[in-house]
Amino acid sequence: MKPDLAPKTLFIALGLAWLLAIWLSLALGPVSLPMMDTLRAVLHLVGVPVAEDDLQQAELIVGQIRLPRTLLGLAVGAVLALSGVAMQGLFRNPLADPGLVGVSSGAALGAAVAIVAGASLGGLPEPFQPYLLSICAFAGGLGVTAIVYRLGRRDGRTSVSTMLLAGVAMTALAGSIIGLFTYLANDASLRTLTFWNLGTLNGASYARLWPLLLVCAAVIIWLPRRATALNALLLGESEARHLGIEVERLKRELILCIALGVGAAVAAAGLIGFIGLIVPHLVRLLTGPDHRVVLPASALAGATLLLLADIFARLVMAPAELPIGIVTVFIGAPFFLFLLVRGRS
Amino acid sequence: MRFTSQLIAIVAGLFITHLAAASPEPQRWVSAGGALTEWIVALGGHSRLVGVDSTSQHPPSVKLLPGIGYQRQLSAEGILTLRPKILIGTEEMGPPPVIQQLRTAGVQVEVMSASAELPALRANLERLGALLGKDGEARQLSDQYMQRLATEHQRVTQLKRAAPGVLLLVSHAGSAPMVAGAGTVGDWLITQAGGLNLATHDGYKVFSIEAMSGLNPEVLVVSDRAQNGVQARDALLRENPLLGATRAVRDNRVVEIDPTLLVGGLGPRLPDAVRSLADAFYPDAAPLSARVSNAQ
Repeated sequence: MKPDLAPKTLFIALGLAWLLAIWLSLALGPVSLPMMDTLRAVLHLVGVPVAEDDLQQAELIVGQIRLPRTLLGLAVGAVLALSGVAMQGLFRNPLADPGLVGVSSGAALGAAVAIVAGASLGGLPEPFQPYLLSICAFAGGLGVTAIVYRLGRRDGRTSVSTMLLAGVAMTALAGSIIGLFTYLANDASLRTLTFWNLGTLNGASYARLWPLLLVCAAVIIWLPRRATALNALLLGESEARHLGIEVERLKRELILCIALGVGAAVAAAGLIGFIGLIVPHLVRLLTGPDHRVVLPASALAGATLLLLADIFARLVMAPAELPIGIVTVFIGAPFFLFLLVRGRS
Repeated sequence: MRFTSQLIAIVAGLFITHLAAASPEPQRWVSAGGALTEWIVALGGHSRLVGVDSTSQHPPSVKLLPGIGYQRQLSAEGILTLRPKILIGTEEMGPPPVIQQLRTAGVQVEVMSASAELPALRANLERLGALLGKDGEARQLSDQYMQRLATEHQRVTQLKRAAPGVLLLVSHAGSAPMVAGAGTVGDWLITQAGGLNLATHDGYKVFSIEAMSGLNPEVLVVSDRAQNGVQARDALLRENPLLGATRAVRDNRVVEIDPTLLVGGLGPRLPDAVRSLADAFYPDAAPLSARVSNAQ
């Protein structure tokens, strides 16, 4: 193994990569815009006075299509990676994935209900109708996670291993209910469901973005503050307790953060696999297990990776586009295998 | 505020350039609906199409056009690369923010009905005719369509015979056949051709072979996504030997139809399909004098 990178070097490198990914995400798309036009459009959008000649098309595409999409990608990528770190810290297991507490399968269940039975639910007031899918997915994720958490509690203590098993069982249960809805679905809703399960950043708009950005910002600000507590938890629960950490409270906070963050991300962009599993791994490999570094670095790396995957997804099949979940897993899984094999030798 | 005024300027600009050009080049259209694409081609609008969605499979020449993906997962920027003037699709098009983005970018979005009902079809054809400047042709096509269906209906009802019980199966290389139930184009075809769909559930569902044999259909209509013609029938019977016990197979009354007929709403090829189904349902029905040749 190579020696760990100094945190400073890592943050500079990740920060540069992050900025580069943002720039590429704004500059690249199926419509090819001259670099200068993109630059001027961006400057103009942030309020810098520039010459406005011939800028309408560039500004429309950058401002209305690529910028909301980039913001969505940044938020979703950062939150999925952070939740991955929190999850692996909570379970003290590097193989833990945010999906383990049932948040992804709960969200998928909510989405299935909304897509297949949405028309007959119908009780939502008019202004919320377009958000039915997102609301159901978010509620499903929170609901199933709450059940898993309740099942893991006994005598005022949360048993992480019981939660793990309860998560597996609830995921299977949600899976079978999704199967039932799949069976009841007609052709059109079946295809919608399939595509939702593969995730996409397509169709991001400011109106849909703000609720997600708020939740993500809360998670992104909150989780890194618990870095020291997570470090203590690495030693074991009772050790952390002796170090003065309120372990039960920490667990509750982590679960809440994961459920809120992943729930919101999944509600906005569908199921996007592997970011939550692979990014924390990658970062720990580079810099060691200190959560004070791993948490913010994962947020940066997760956002960067998701943006790069999205650029690929929107370009490779243009004018159609590939669901991003396919890209993240297609790149992520072989990379994960590579890490495994290299780590063994 | 500034942005809104700019948008108005773009849209107005596009509009003016369009008027000024007096279009020597045909308008650029993108179609996001299988049946709509077929109708556009039938109305002579093929040269306007610059992109189609994944449900547009017919005529085969449209498959050479750039694909914009599935109609519910359109990409705003992808479609903008085709520089379309008009995007045509059904209310199934989406996601809604993408449609909004396209409108903002000055694309005229035409949303038509996806419902498999004749009045909806008539309205869609009228709109397409108006867009193509071919109102007369569109009205004629729609009248012909209705008339051909009415003729078939008359031809089979004048026999005053009980409608034969029919099941329509959609399978993949013969395995796990799904049965077309109420609300599907398959069900519509069976009814139009004077058959009685024995399946009464909604949509397409997998039936057990036992249940299918129990319904004992007089005619089986089979459609296979992987194979066609006799191969499709043979594959189905090989994978599901129990079907051999049904009246349909015993009397050799198994008809194949093209699976692309069953998706994307009411397309121009359906009257032909209705006719070949009616022929299969009522082999002794008097052939119409107006018929030019036998389809099968």
